[in-house]
Amino acid sequence: MRQLPLISRRAAAAVAGIALVGSVAACGPKEAGDAKGGGAAGDPKQGGTLTVLNREPQSDFDPARLYTSGGGNIPSLVFRTLTTRNRADGAAGTKVVPDLATDLGTPSEDAKVWTYKLKDGLAYEDGSPITSADVKYGIERSFAGELSGGAPYLRDWLVGGERYQGPYKDKGGDGLKSIETPDAKTLVFHLKKPEGDFPYLATQTQFAPVPKAKDTGTKYEEHPVSSGPYKVVRNTGDGERLLLERNPHWSAKTDSQRHAYPDRIEVKSGLDPAVINQRLSTGSGPDAAAITTDTNLGPAELAQVSGDKQLADRVGTGHFGYTNYLAFNPRTKPFDDPKVRQAISYAVNRTSVVNAAGGSSLAEPATTFLPNQKALGYTPYDHFPAGRTGDPGKARELLKQAGYGEGAAKGPLTITLTHSTAQDFEASPEIATALQAGFKKAGIVVKLQGLEDNDYKQRVHSTKTQPGLFLGHWGADWPSGGPFLAPIFDGRQIVEDGANFNSARLNDPAVNDEIDEINKITDHDAAAKRWGALDKKIGEQALTVPLFHPVYKRLYGKDAKNIVISDWTGVLDISQVAVK
Amino acid sequence: MRGYLLRRAIGAVIVLFALSLVIYALFYVAPGDPARLACGPRCNPEQIRQVREQLSLGDPVYVQYWHFLQGLAAGHDYSTGTGVLHCDAPCFGLSYQNDQQVTDLITQRLPVTASLALGAMVLWLLLGVGSGLLSALRRGGTTERVLTWLTLAGTATPVFIIGLLLLMLFCAYLGWLPFPSYVALTEDPEQWAWNLLLPWTALALIESAKYARLTRSSMLETLAEDHIRTFRAYGVAERSIVGRHALRGALPPVIALTALDLGSMFGNAVLTETLFGLPGLGQLLVHATRTVDLPVVVGVVLVTGAAVVIANIVADLLYAVADRRVALA
Amino acid sequence: MSAGTLEERPAAVAPPAAPSGARQVWRRLRARKSALIAAAVLALLVVLALAAPLLGALEGQDVGAYHDGLVDSARGGVPIGSYGGVSGDHWLGVEPGTGRDLFVRLLYGARVSLAVAAGATLVQVFIGVAVGLAAGLGNRLVDSALSHLSDVMVALPMLVFAIGVTAVVPSSFPRPVLLVFVIGLLAWGGTARIVRAQTLTLKRLDYVAAARLGGASRLRIARRELLPALAAPVITYAAILLPTNIVTEAGMSFLGVGVTPPTPSWGQMLSTATTWFRADPMYVLLPALLLFTTVLAFTVLGDGLRTALDPRAASRLRVGRTGRAARRRKRGTPA
Repeated sequence: MRQLPLISRRAAAAVAGIALVGSVAACGPKEAGDAKGGGAAGDPKQGGTLTVLNREPQSDFDPARLYTSGGGNIPSLVFRTLTTRNRADGAAGTKVVPDLATDLGTPSEDAKVWTYKLKDGLAYEDGSPITSADVKYGIERSFAGELSGGAPYLRDWLVGGERYQGPYKDKGGDGLKSIETPDAKTLVFHLKKPEGDFPYLATQTQFAPVPKAKDTGTKYEEHPVSSGPYKVVRNTGDGERLLLERNPHWSAKTDSQRHAYPDRIEVKSGLDPAVINQRLSTGSGPDAAAITTDTNLGPAELAQVSGDKQLADRVGTGHFGYTNYLAFNPRTKPFDDPKVRQAISYAVNRTSVVNAAGGSSLAEPATTFLPNQKALGYTPYDHFPAGRTGDPGKARELLKQAGYGEGAAKGPLTITLTHSTAQDFEASPEIATALQAGFKKAGIVVKLQGLEDNDYKQRVHSTKTQPGLFLGHWGADWPSGGPFLAPIFDGRQIVEDGANFNSARLNDPAVNDEIDEINKITDHDAAAKRWGALDKKIGEQALTVPLFHPVYKRLYGKDAKNIVISDWTGVLDISQVAVK
Repeated sequence: MRGYLLRRAIGAVIVLFALSLVIYALFYVAPGDPARLACGPRCNPEQIRQVREQLSLGDPVYVQYWHFLQGLAAGHDYSTGTGVLHCDAPCFGLSYQNDQQVTDLITQRLPVTASLALGAMVLWLLLGVGSGLLSALRRGGTTERVLTWLTLAGTATPVFIIGLLLLMLFCAYLGWLPFPSYVALTEDPEQWAWNLLLPWTALALIESAKYARLTRSSMLETLAEDHIRTFRAYGVAERSIVGRHALRGALPPVIALTALDLGSMFGNAVLTETLFGLPGLGQLLVHATRTVDLPVVVGVVLVTGAAVVIANIVADLLYAVADRRVALA
Repeated sequence: MSAGTLEERPAAVAPPAAPSGARQVWRRLRARKSALIAAAVLALLVVLALAAPLLGALEGQDVGAYHDGLVDSARGGVPIGSYGGVSGDHWLGVEPGTGRDLFVRLLYGARVSLAVAAGATLVQVFIGVAVGLAAGLGNRLVDSALSHLSDVMVALPMLVFAIGVTAVVPSSFPRPVLLVFVIGLLAWGGTARIVRAQTLTLKRLDYVAAARLGGASRLRIARRELLPALAAPVITYAAILLPTNIVTEAGMSFLGVGVTPPTPSWGQMLSTATTWFRADPMYVLLPALLLFTTVLAFTVLGDGLRTALDPRAASRLRVGRTGRAARRRKRGTPA
């Protein structure tokens, strides 16, 4: 699960509301970026300097350490990977396409062996050729303890991945035997079991080539060697200020995805979200040709922007496969009783929750665990219809059957809801209190347990300390049902001594088998249908209560052209932006 | 004098030593596993174990503390995987979260906080001492009453309220000033000052209240002293009395307080930094505390603690130099 | 630092004022109109805070009830209607995003702010008096150790301590009580310093010396002879501490380490309100104004009380020879 693009928040965002000079006239936000290539008028041309105003510094600029969905934004300017995401607006952007490789890979009959061929004419920023051994080395590095941080799939999928400790410990060895490089252009991956989604995994930065001779371990992030259209010219303050310039050895002929319109890209980060949005809206000097890749509009800013037509035209809307939900631990009382879980599902007031998450423009109510995207296999269902504001009557009825309520044997149902104290509209106090108020109508007494964010994350994801009920969220590592459902509902992914995400501890052989069966399918659309069906089936057990899917509103500078926001990332794709 | 300084210096070291112990103890009992945090969201137990080993978190806490002291005294070598990274003494270690040297992180943030504190100091001295003088000279008049109320209001206003009002007025409605975002002095001095003007003003408005009161009462006290009365009796011009003699008598406490405030500003300007989004030491400290990044927390606490302790010593010295009536104990 | 920072210089130690009679104090206080107004404002505020549930019932609103229909969901949840949704049902409008009633939340917020500040002041006074007496009556070693302890507390950044402690203490522990202790434990230095200085002077006075010669224990001397004489300066100082503690609590809640939702507090309201400045100014201005008024009233009252209780001590405190008094007072308010 990758880090979410940050929503501008609270104290740090103190100045947000004032930031945007707007008129009072109320009109709904006009959504730009819906059509292909939104933004300023005119055809995109080469040249100019693009400024990126960001909150978080690119402090992990090492392909081994990055945890991205589809290779990241700024990183994908420098790192090319075997495959990459299709750089198109909306749903078309959820497709996977070849990048360094000639195609999406050739699977063996059972999808356990995947073979890739590199394109001709690939070179690093110094002109030296990119070889299959470099791609293999890049993957091997990500197993080193020094360079931890990436997604778990390589360790879990590659034969021998669970024991391999990376090239620094295993100096003399041949590295991972499950990655073969019969020649300088060919890579063969041997997986433990069939994985039809392998081409999607190959979009992550771990699949970027790293020349062994240039590897400097933990210091590699200061100047990673570029295989993409831009190279790092200057990196100060651990990724706080970056200057990227054209990589003369990159050729558009081998890269159909990245446009690389601007000559230079300057990244300024460590900025306050409110300042970012204010500078984008004012757009003075270099800020006119500016975008942000990690900040979106918060509720108060949205209230401001939506009143100003000029600004509202410069707002792009992004969707990203993501679900915020209530997670039960059915091994604890009273959540072991399905009636209690169902009652809670009926009682939830999604309107309050959506408002707490920023309102209907920033969150869509959810009744399915899978996000509402076709690529993930979205199949609508609503097993415990709570309507817009909850069904307290139905909830009381179920609770009565379970022995709770005024005058009932066990008295009114009293539960503790664990949440984080970070005010990020995720597992934050706002959402928790909104739920609390809603449940009150059904006679459910909710005690809130707010934990410091890190404490919260560790507690809810450890089988030993997991609370009975907590606010959870889950994002797509790539637009497919597999990485969305398996970590949460696959019984073999219950991690006893580490980060566990199967909070319901569901270990149902039927579910496990179906997951294995779907993983064998290499046809994405066929697989998506089965994921959707599986989600609908699991949903009957009321192991989670889906709450909402977030929506992202992204403001960009007035000179920014060719704005493309794919449903894969929900962020405007920096490789498409032009400023001339 | 030398003996005094030596004793104060030893005392300062003891205080800083105790500070680092307190922090280590606090983090020892606090929940949150830095290895898991550093490892990433979906690490398996084996990887967490590797990272824990990497960060030497498996050692008992007293061993970790000993290594920390060693690093301070003699520096430390860290493996980068392919080579060795040497961290010179005094080495506070590497951040758990991003492998940066703590010393580098602090030196990046220090100029921001220093700019904020020093600029604000200039302003609050101008405002505070100026209005203090004015109200001392016009005792009993409307000026004094207005100033007294203003200073009371200043003491009563939290910095985040003044800051917000200033932001709203000057950035949003009038549009005279940019939304503060730090620009280094070396990069563009004009933009540096322009961006810091609001935070400076917010801090200065609050701090100056205290200075106005202090200046006023010290002035009044000095003016009541015998030698001033003698000057008056000899017909020395009032302006000269105030400017030369009374002011000189009133300044030592102001100077001493300035040193103290400046010292505490290094660690305590968190609210201002947060409100105005300035990436200073205070913000670094809060962030590091939240991510259980012990080396960074200890490093920043020691640096800000040292600022406080040194400011104490400097204040006492300045006071002694300015006012010879006080003997150093 | 042998002299220790708890130690006061001879120049600053004036003989303690004779305890003033209550009537005298009242007469002096009454003469200051500003102090009386401040006291009236505070009394009103305390009454309002105490009567919060009653007033809520009068308005017909509950502190935690959501009103989804009163906010414009498509526009980030901004309250519908002018002045942040002011209406006959919601006298001061509603909170953006939730539609909770602002009037009731402000009153309940007052309870938290005032109670935490008062509790923290008690803790500070208690520790300060204990440490100050121990340092004043104890031997040189005790004195020096305590002075170093106080130095460490001053150099320890408040927020690190607060975040660290709130993480260690289980979340089932009531947060306002925790805040009382966090703030109280960090800022007792000023009281300790004053008490110590007074103790040193009192120790030399005849009646204390007589008690000592009479074989009274240190504890007995402290209780019987010193405490009554210390009351005036300690009360004066507590009046200065109280508004500082209100601001500190607000600051901590502002940074998210204060009271936990759904309990409202002014600082916490301000913290969420800051982003709404332009879209919903009422939401910011109301808690800001209340906080400002309360702190100002306390400051004015404290000022008046100080003069009334002990005119000389007041001028001494205000002069703060070395500026140390001011520093100790400052402690605990991150800027």
